[in-house]
Amino acid sequence: MDALLDFFASILAPSNPLWLYYPLCAAAAVVYKATKFDEPRDIARAALLFFLHVTGGMFALAVLTYLVSLAF
Amino acid sequence: MTDRASPQTSAVAALVLAWAIPGAGHAYAGRWGKAALFFGCIVGLLAAGMLLGRGTVLAPHELWYAAQLGALGPTIALTPVSQYVAVREGIDYADRWREMGVLYTAVAGFLNILVMMDAYIKMAYPHERGRKEKA
Repeated sequence: MDALLDFFASILAPSNPLWLYYPLCAAAAVVYKATKFDEPRDIARAALLFFLHVTGGMFALAVLTYLVSLAF
Repeated sequence: MTDRASPQTSAVAALVLAWAIPGAGHAYAGRWGKAALFFGCIVGLLAAGMLLGRGTVLAPHELWYAAQLGALGPTIALTPVSQYVAVREGIDYADRWREMGVLYTAVAGFLNILVMMDAYIKMAYPHERGRKEKA
């Protein structure tokens, strides 16, 4: 459990360049969803959902691979 | 021969314009809001990438350059600057900030390809718009 907490702390540390993936992901989400929708409200909502899905998916994948790395 | 360009001709013009300047294809189609959004996002990513990599991210000898050329106009315009900085200060390939800058600029290029396709499709097949956007 402590190892997992350390892992979260390292991910959320301000010095981690991983923070730079968030603006990149947000820009990609906005551009991608703006090609799908016309209304600003629809674009914003769809882009936010897309951003959360991608970020959540990446985070889950990171936790999973970390747990697998602990097992071996 | 008609006075107006055919939808296919206009679509190719929108595609080429969007390649040269991000968002210009949508501006050509009269969609100024989307044009501004695409220009801001794509040029913003390119500028952020250049800043992160301290100006050395556009290197024609790297494979990433093919992706960066997705945003042709800004990439061609900024390449001499990048080359100048690279010759003057050298390139640190192991620098993680430069890596991130390269990633930003490459993603900007890929996104512009998506925007080019969107500009082309919406000019070539305007009747398909409503169906797609409701999905």
